[in-house]
Amino acid sequence: MTTKVTAPGKKNLETTLEISKAIRAYYAGVKLAKMEGKPVVWSYGLVPREIFHAAEAPVLYLEHLPLMIGAKQLSGHYMQIAEEEGFSRDVCAFHRCFLGCSVAKEREPYLDKFFVSPDLIVASNLPCMSETKSFLYSADYHDAPYYFLDAPINTWGKDVPEYAIDYFAGQLQGTIDFMAEKGIHVDWDRLKEAVRLSKKLVELWREIDVCRRAVPAPISSVDGLTAAYPLIQLPGTQLGVTLFERLLEELKGKVERKEGVLEDEKLRLMWFGVPPFYNMGLLNYGEKYGAVVVKSMVEYIAGGGYDPAILDPDQPLKSLAYKALIDIVNPTAENMLDFIVDAVNDFKVDGLVGVVKRSCGLLPGYMRLAKDTVYENTGVPTTIFDLDGLDIREYDDATSKANLDSFIEALLASKRR
Amino acid sequence: MGSLEKLMDIFENPQKEIDEWKKDGKKIVGHRCLYVPEEIIHAAGMLPYPTFGTPEPISKADSYFQPCACEFVRNIFDLSMDKKFDFLDTMVLCNTCDAVRHLYNMWDSYIDSVPCYMVNNPQKMYDESGIQFYLHELEKFKELMEDLSGTKITDDALKNSIELFDETRRLLKELNALRMRDIPAIAGSEFLRVSMASMLMPKEKANLLLKEIIDEVKDREIKDGDGPRIMLTGSVMDNPTLIELVEEMGGVVVADDFCTSTKYFWYETKPNSNPMEAIARFNLERSVCGHTHPVSNRYDYMNELIDDFNVDGIIYFNIKYCHPFVYESATIKKQLEEKAPVLILETDHSLSGLGQLKTRVQAFIEML
Ligand code: SF4
Ligand code: SF4
Repeated sequence: MTTKVTAPGKKNLETTLEISKAIRAYYAGVKLAKMEGKPVVWSYGLVPREIFHAAEAPVLYLEHLPLMIGAKQLSGHYMQIAEEEGFSRDVCAFHRCFLGCSVAKEREPYLDKFFVSPDLIVASNLPCMSETKSFLYSADYHDAPYYFLDAPINTWGKDVPEYAIDYFAGQLQGTIDFMAEKGIHVDWDRLKEAVRLSKKLVELWREIDVCRRAVPAPISSVDGLTAAYPLIQLPGTQLGVTLFERLLEELKGKVERKEGVLEDEKLRLMWFGVPPFYNMGLLNYGEKYGAVVVKSMVEYIAGGGYDPAILDPDQPLKSLAYKALIDIVNPTAENMLDFIVDAVNDFKVDGLVGVVKRSCGLLPGYMRLAKDTVYENTGVPTTIFDLDGLDIREYDDATSKANLDSFIEALLASKRR
Repeated sequence: MGSLEKLMDIFENPQKEIDEWKKDGKKIVGHRCLYVPEEIIHAAGMLPYPTFGTPEPISKADSYFQPCACEFVRNIFDLSMDKKFDFLDTMVLCNTCDAVRHLYNMWDSYIDSVPCYMVNNPQKMYDESGIQFYLHELEKFKELMEDLSGTKITDDALKNSIELFDETRRLLKELNALRMRDIPAIAGSEFLRVSMASMLMPKEKANLLLKEIIDEVKDREIKDGDGPRIMLTGSVMDNPTLIELVEEMGGVVVADDFCTSTKYFWYETKPNSNPMEAIARFNLERSVCGHTHPVSNRYDYMNELIDDFNVDGIIYFNIKYCHPFVYESATIKKQLEEKAPVLILETDHSLSGLGQLKTRVQAFIEML
């Protein structure tokens, strides 16, 4: 059932507004590059961005585009187009969304500001298998050459063996060679610099995270998700670093002044799964009870959950390979579960909210394990309910709020005991 | 009882084979997926045993997996929770799809009676660096099998196992070729049973029975074998219900592309003086499954089947939430339609919605 009771999330940081401007500028840059005849790359997931920045390649990251149009509540329309094209509703909503954008005969003016057709596509099976197949359709449709970057799953935890790093580094080299054939050249010195900047970016993100642990929470995850944008699209750029420096500065000020999202913070929640981008106000919903969503796992979906010391600018490909393979979203579960337990402890979380996006092959599979592991290690409970963060057609506002109501009330009652 | 009947009986009741194997204390290694290197398990003196599902509704697994995980994986997990796989000495999975990756997480965390291991195979085929990576993984797997069996795996033992398994593949392919005839000698539903039974029993015995079956059926013509010639493809098919439905509706299932059948035997191992490399290349130089890249090789293989078996129509069977095949279906439909009409059916692994599919299957067959 679809309802209209949706609202944008409340942001309370200056820097997130700047980040929003940077996002718009990024897309305008890609659009301009296309108009100037430069080849545009489509990519997704955990393909390391540093490689593209080192080639100054204009790239459309297709996990981000659906978020942008999702926030404007336009994603359902494009998913519908993909479904009419023969894609099942079981195909990941992100993929259905950009497949719809990709083949639409007409696009809304808002989408048109961001959408650029691909000249080449680089896809990976990291973190899930979705893109490797759905991109094939777009590649065929736009007659764009396609490179598949194969990532081994992580069966080793933090100690990834050399042969696995070598394999993925080789795949990255393959990407570079593929792009060179299409006239996009990676500059080796720029790549080293990109890795250095990426390291700096994650160092800053970790400092930002430390600030965000403060009680009361200086920002909620509504700001946190926008703040994570540089991690997703700008690793390896000075712009990303500059934005994070400003963010850190602003946060430090808030922490010093003990300025919280709420004056009387009673509960701290963590969000696990894709939040409703068409209704980010849901993340503020618990605030009427004094509950703040202090952290979201999705902020880490494209990096940031690893120790930046592993990045060595003199070994750029190996560093990027290692960082990708130990990413928390690369199955199997060990690194993801460690991350959630640590975050619950570090952020003094009282309850975990797990939402199931039916069409996602990756995150729903972790729900029960995350619930049990968090409870065993920290005693913190989890609620799990269905919520497709992108497909508003599947959203039920009343049920989602009722789930949050009962969970928060139970948490408050157990605190009073 | 003829050999065809014997194999059909083993398909219905594999427990006899399991008991027979275990009575001398020999071990059984369960697995899911044809990219698990069975020859290494066999060379260690153990029985590789493919785990198939059942059409039963899911019970316990539903409180562990979300309903949006493929029902086949939930079914396998359900059976493991019910201790139906406790006869296994270990379970081996490989990197084929998101659902199996989660099955590994869940098995490893919640099933204490049978340990679970994941072989980390690349998904990119025909790639030398992938072969090197995979060889490392296979060496680790070989050591694990040696530890489990207490037997050192020699090159000779591996070569013998490769030859034995290739013999099974050759025999299944020979039997399958009898479906190319204008009137096939063996029905699709019979063939699936034979193929699955030979996958789960000791190959030494399966090969003898397969030779006898070929002799037994080679001069046969199946009843009503001149109807529209159908190929079935898609997600895992571990019971013949859908094939039987097509047969009931007047279709003749002359070919299929399932991992319980043609995918298992279509290709043989290429000669190589290093048997581990032979196994690595066998697995990474055959693009038969929906999870593999590049897809062009998979299309070539499918087109070969369509031509060889003179197919009139294709039914693409998707288990709900089976991502490798659900994603592939829109793209592959376009490709295959150049050869023959395609019907896409999306349903559960248990085929609980079969009644509703009946009308669509019937209309499709009538249209051909
Ligand atoms: S991780 Fe889930 S949401 Fe993201 S692309 Fe994969 S299936 Fe879609
Ligand atoms: S049926 Fe599909 S999703 Fe399920 S285990 Fe098999 S390939 Fe994976």
